Amino acid sequence: MIDNTVVISTPPHVKSKRTTRGIMLDVTIALLPCAVAGIVFFGWQALILELVSVAACVATEFVYYFIANGGFAKKCKNAGATCKKWARQFDLTSVVTGLILALILPADVKWYEILIGDIFAIALVKMFFGGTGKNLVNPAAAARIFTAISFSVSVFVLAKVEPSLDSELLTGASNLEGLLKDKHSALTALDLFLGTGVAGCIGETCKLAIIIGFVYLCVRDVIKWWQPVLFLGVFGLTACLCSLDITLFLPHVLSGGVMFAAVFMFTDYVTSPKGVIGQLVYYIAGAALLAVLRHLTKVEVASFVILLMNLIVPLIDKYCIRKPFGYVRQKKTKEGK
Amino acid sequence: MKAVRGKYYFGGVHPHGRKELSSASPLEVMPAPQTVAISLSQSLGRPAVPAVEKGAEVKIGELIARADGPISSDVFSSVCGTVEDIREETGAGGAAEKFIVIKNNGKDDRAFLPPLSSPSAEEIKTRIREAGIVGLGGAGFPTAVKVSPRTPVDTLILNGAECEPYLTCDHRLMLEKTDEIVRGARYLAAALGVKEIIIGIEANKPDAIEKFEPYEDIKVVILKKQYPMGGEKQLTYVTTGRRIGLPPALPADVGVVVQNVATAYAVCEAVELGKPLYERVVTVSGKAVKEPKNVWVKLGTQIKDVIEYCGGELSAPKKVVQGGPMTGVALANYDVYTHKTTSGILLMTADEAAAEEPTPCLNCGKCADVCPMHLMPMNTAFYSAAGDFEAAEKYGNTLACIECGACEYICPAKRPLIQAIRKTKAEIRKLRQGGQKK
Repeated sequence: MIDNTVVISTPPHVKSKRTTRGIMLDVTIALLPCAVAGIVFFGWQALILELVSVAACVATEFVYYFIANGGFAKKCKNAGATCKKWARQFDLTSVVTGLILALILPADVKWYEILIGDIFAIALVKMFFGGTGKNLVNPAAAARIFTAISFSVSVFVLAKVEPSLDSELLTGASNLEGLLKDKHSALTALDLFLGTGVAGCIGETCKLAIIIGFVYLCVRDVIKWWQPVLFLGVFGLTACLCSLDITLFLPHVLSGGVMFAAVFMFTDYVTSPKGVIGQLVYYIAGAALLAVLRHLTKVEVASFVILLMNLIVPLIDKYCIRKPFGYVRQKKTKEGK
Repeated sequence: MKAVRGKYYFGGVHPHGRKELSSASPLEVMPAPQTVAISLSQSLGRPAVPAVEKGAEVKIGELIARADGPISSDVFSSVCGTVEDIREETGAGGAAEKFIVIKNNGKDDRAFLPPLSSPSAEEIKTRIREAGIVGLGGAGFPTAVKVSPRTPVDTLILNGAECEPYLTCDHRLMLEKTDEIVRGARYLAAALGVKEIIIGIEANKPDAIEKFEPYEDIKVVILKKQYPMGGEKQLTYVTTGRRIGLPPALPADVGVVVQNVATAYAVCEAVELGKPLYERVVTVSGKAVKEPKNVWVKLGTQIKDVIEYCGGELSAPKKVVQGGPMTGVALANYDVYTHKTTSGILLMTADEAAAEEPTPCLNCGKCADVCPMHLMPMNTAFYSAAGDFEAAEKYGNTLACIECGACEYICPAKRPLIQAIRKTKAEIRKLRQGGQKK
C-alpha cells in the first residue's frame, strides 16, 4: 500500500547514477598518477605538500561551512547537526582543489606557504562566492598566483635536480628554445615527456602521468577528449608560429605546465563555458593567448591565462547560445510586416 | 520491406531499459471491474460534455460524452451497466476532472458502430472521429485532427520506437497484432492520401522488426537505442531526414504525419469492427509489483484494481508512476483511474526510482549535451530561479522544449530541471498573453 514515504515529483522518475561526488572522485583518481610521479621525482617533500594541501582545503571548507551554517550559534548546540549536514553535502571538490594546488607548485614550497594558499583558495575564491559551482575563477589557479606573489622565492626558484644538469636552463618554459637548440643539453623530448631530470612543479613534469589521467577522465566521460587535444593543438601551433620553428611543436607542448592545465584546469566545469560553441571559443582563445604570452614573457603564465579566461566566461556564455533543433532563420521580408 | 538503419541525431541519453521485466509476458485481457470512473478529459484540448444522465443504462462502446469543439474527443463506456454518478474529482495530473461513474452489471451487450468494408478516405476520417481515437503514445492528441492536416503530406510515420524505459505495451502489440497494425496504417494512409508508410522501431526489439519486414508497402527503419527516439521531431528526422520547425510548426508542415502503432491498431478495430476506443494495453511493471504484465485495461479502471490483477505489491513502492518513467506522472495514491493515454503503471522500488536531493549546479553542461532539441536547460534553470523568465526563454529557448526529461536524467547534481522548465513555460505564456491584451 502507498504510505507517506512515497515520493511525488515531476518527471523523470529515473536518473543516472552519476553524482557530483562521483565525478570529483574520478578527477581525484585521475590526479593520482601525477601525484605519485611527483613523489617519485621530488621525494617526501612532495608527499607532505600534497597531504597538507588536501587536508588544509577540506579543513578550510569545513570551518567555513561550520561558521556559516551556525555551528557556533546557541552555544554550539547545533554543532553535531551541522557536522552531519556538512558530511552529507561534502562533494570532494575541495580535495580536488587541494591536490591540484599542490601539483602546480614546486616541491620547494614550505608547508605553511601552501597552507596559506589553500585557505585563500577555499575561503576567498570558492566559499565567498557561494561554494561549489558558484566560484568565478578556478580556486587552484588563483591560489597558485597568490602563493607565487606572496612567496616568490620558493615558487620561482625551481627545485634542484641532478647536479650534472645546469639547473638554470631547466625552468619550465623559460629557456626552452635555448635549451633545445643547445646540442650539449642532455634533455630530449623524451625526457620532457617522462619528466626525468626536468625541474618544475610537482605534478606537471611527468607528462605520461598526465596522459594516463586524461585517458581515465575520457573513459569515465568526465571531460570530452577533444577539449585538451584542441587546446594543446592550438597552443602548439601558435607557439610554433611565434618562434617560427615548427620542430618545436612537441617541446612546447611537453614543457612547463601547459599539458596539466589543459587536462585538469581548463576543463574545470564550474569555470568553463556551457555548450559546445562556447567551449570551442574558450579553448581556442585560451590556447592562443597562453602561447603568445608565454612567448613574450618567457615564464610560465598558465595560471594567469586560466584566470583571465575564467573571467570572460560569462561573456562567452552570453553570446554563444545554441540554436534549437529545427530552428529556421527568419527571412528579412517577414520582419517588415 | 527490408529494414534500413535510421539516422543519428545529436543528443539523447541511454537509461536502463528494464524492459525485460514485462517484455516476455503476452497481452492478456483484464476482466472488467465492478465500477469504472471514466474521465471526460481524455485528450489534449477541452474536456468532453456528458451525453448521458445519472441512472441511464449504457452498453459497452456506447457514447457517454461528446467532444466539445474540434480539439477534443468523444468518450465511450467501457462496461455495460448503469450510470451511477457524474462527479468532479482531482485527476492524476492534479487538475480537477469530471468523471462519469458506471456500475458494471456483468453483461456483454455492445453498442458498436457498423463495420466498414473498403471505406473511402472521408469515411475513414469520420470513423476515426466517431470512435474517439486519440494518439495513444502519451500526448493524447485527437487523431481526427491529425488526419486532416492543413498542408499536403506524403509520408505516414508509425511510431514503434517505445523509447521510454519499462514500457512494453507497444512492443507486445507489434508482436501479436502485426497484421492489424499494418491494416490500420493502410487506413490512415488512405485517409491522408499518402503512399509511403514508414515504421520506426528501436534496435532493442529485433523480433518486432522481423515481424514487419514481410510487408512490401511498409518501410521498416531500425532506430538506434536512444532516448528520446519516439519524439515526433526526432523520429521524423531519423526516418526521413526532415527537420520539423519550432512551435507552432507541425509535422505536417514538412509533409509527414506521425502516429503511434497502438493508434493504428485502434483505427483498424474502429474501421473493421466498429469498435470505439474504450480499452488499451497498459504495461504494469517495476520491481515492486509481483507479476509485471501487459494487460488490456478498460477505460476508467481504478489503478488499485489493475495492480491487484497483477498480483499486488511485492514490496512497498518508493514511487508510483502513471505513464513512462521519463515523462509520466508520479501518483500519491492508487485511487486514480486509467485514461486513453495511460501507457504504463509502474511501481518502483527505492533502488530504481530517483529521489536524491539536489546539490549545487556544477555548470558541467551535460544537460545541454544530451538535449535532443539542442537547448540549454541550465540557463533556463538559472534564470527562472532568479525570477527572470524572459531571460530564461532568451538564453535557454525554453518554449522549444519537448520535456523529454533527458537533461534531468543526466544531471549529476540532480537538479529539478523539468520543474524549472515547466514553470518558465507557464510564466512566459502568462506574460505573452498579458502583452497581447494590452
